[in-house]
Amino acid sequence: MIRRLVLGAMGLVWLIPVYLLLVNAFRPSTQYDADRIWVPDADFGFFDNVKLAWDAAGLGPSILSTLLYSVASPVAAVVVGAMAGFAIVVLRLRAGFWWFILLFGGTIFPIQMLVIPLFISYSSADLYDRRFGLVLVYTAVCVPLAALVMRSFFTGVAYTLYEAARVDGASVWRIFWRVYLPLAGPALGAVAILEFAFVWNDLLFGLTLSQDESVRPVMTALSSLSSAYSGSTVPVVLAAGLVMSLPTVLVFLGAQRIFARGLTLGQY
Amino acid sequence: MSVATATPVDSPAAPAAGGRKGRGDRGARWGALGFVSPAVILVAVLLYAPFLYTVVLSFTEYDGLNSPEWIGVENFTRFFDDPALTTSLRNTLMWVVGTTVVPVALGLVVAVLSFGIKGGTWLRLPFMLPYALSGAGLAVIWSFILQSGGAANDILGALHLPGAETSFLQEEPWNTLSMIVAWTWQQTGVNALLFLVGLQSIPKEPLEAAKLDGATGWSLFRHVTWPLLAPLTTVVVGLALVASLKTFDIVWVMTQGGPGRNSETLAVTMYRDAFVSGEYGYGSAVALVLTLTTGAITLAYLRRQVKSREALG
Repeated sequence: MIRRLVLGAMGLVWLIPVYLLLVNAFRPSTQYDADRIWVPDADFGFFDNVKLAWDAAGLGPSILSTLLYSVASPVAAVVVGAMAGFAIVVLRLRAGFWWFILLFGGTIFPIQMLVIPLFISYSSADLYDRRFGLVLVYTAVCVPLAALVMRSFFTGVAYTLYEAARVDGASVWRIFWRVYLPLAGPALGAVAILEFAFVWNDLLFGLTLSQDESVRPVMTALSSLSSAYSGSTVPVVLAAGLVMSLPTVLVFLGAQRIFARGLTLGQY
Repeated sequence: MSVATATPVDSPAAPAAGGRKGRGDRGARWGALGFVSPAVILVAVLLYAPFLYTVVLSFTEYDGLNSPEWIGVENFTRFFDDPALTTSLRNTLMWVVGTTVVPVALGLVVAVLSFGIKGGTWLRLPFMLPYALSGAGLAVIWSFILQSGGAANDILGALHLPGAETSFLQEEPWNTLSMIVAWTWQQTGVNALLFLVGLQSIPKEPLEAAKLDGATGWSLFRHVTWPLLAPLTTVVVGLALVASLKTFDIVWVMTQGGPGRNSETLAVTMYRDAFVSGEYGYGSAVALVLTLTTGAITLAYLRRQVKSREALG
């Protein structure tokens, strides 16, 4: 009983910021008063606030672009990572372990070590402020985790499966796409979910590699919206923050276990 | 012909492939290179190459327009005269200490209290919600709470505690400390989740035996549960350590490292030097120091953990 009381009390403290967020994001923008933040407003202004943020920071195109980054990059990364795992484990690539170390070594670089050269080379290669450039870099960052998970996954698959398919005359390419990739479906999905959240929440690549309102990812847009110079009111900024957090909050609540396991796998 | 020689080492799960020879398999061998190359090319070009180039740039002066000029270790000796960097190092250290202790301890408390009781999932939910927020989303909420005359001041005032008049985001060191509080609010839940996974994987026998011997509550936790959780604690603290050293998003969105650069962390200093001041060489040097610090602290931490476990037997 005491345990429950302590937990409950702590939980209430934890919910205070959530309460303040909801109350003030739902408050009509014009009704905001710094002295009345604790009291909910009778009028519901959430959608108007979102609309205001939408127009002020160009959120529509930004959300579409971010959706592209956070879906295309993880999907590309898990396929590329699965191909690598397949080559190393099933096709028995020579010195496969070292190839794997090379790939997984990619996770130890802090993003801070990457952004300056990427910015410089993207600028000269006409990839700066391009959606394709961002998809490319997010994919590369997502590959090591995918390769790690796929390698261990394929290690657990009986080798006779490959042999049997070969005896039946299937090409290696076909075996990968028709047998091994579908087999790895759930594992691929879990990795893709983790990486979706990572890409969706990224700020630093967005800040350094994009500029245009329609190209920059949502967190970069949110960051500029919340800066003192944007002129947006508190309810507008909070409403924008709420909307942009919804995808990862929903995904996370639906897949808590995956996140807990994923945390111990990589840096995310 | 090469199949049998290389395989047993490379893929432990696969049976030794004696006698699988012939055209098809040689094809598969070449295919293997083809299969691994997209991943290798992506990682080499977009992760390894920039990493190495940052190392090179850290020994140069580079404004992004003229070509980089080699200046040896000058960027690194400049650190000692740069007050912004000293502040930044100190703040980073505060982040490291603050975030490896407080959210981890609170996460452990939440996990242990909610483990095995009815409705535990629901009681944990308030702690889980914040985790899914991005650094930027977190920063937006807490900027609002911590603003002068905001919710944080209201609460402290209502409780007659000191701090009702403090401008948390403007005053040093309160800006860094209050951002650590925001971070704690976010990270406690996920640490609880990690500890919970650990608690579930603890074998039942030692716990049952200790209970039969009359251990309850605190002593049960202190002498049985806690030692069994130790390996996991290493992982949780290690993760918190690495994350805290690279703190960027929340600081950048809440204070932009200010006012007057006094809440910068190393990651923010690096961004400001390179992308705001256009000093790419100096920014690279800061990034390199950040990376080496991360590596050194992590290694030292892991070695200590391994040693203390060996000492335990």
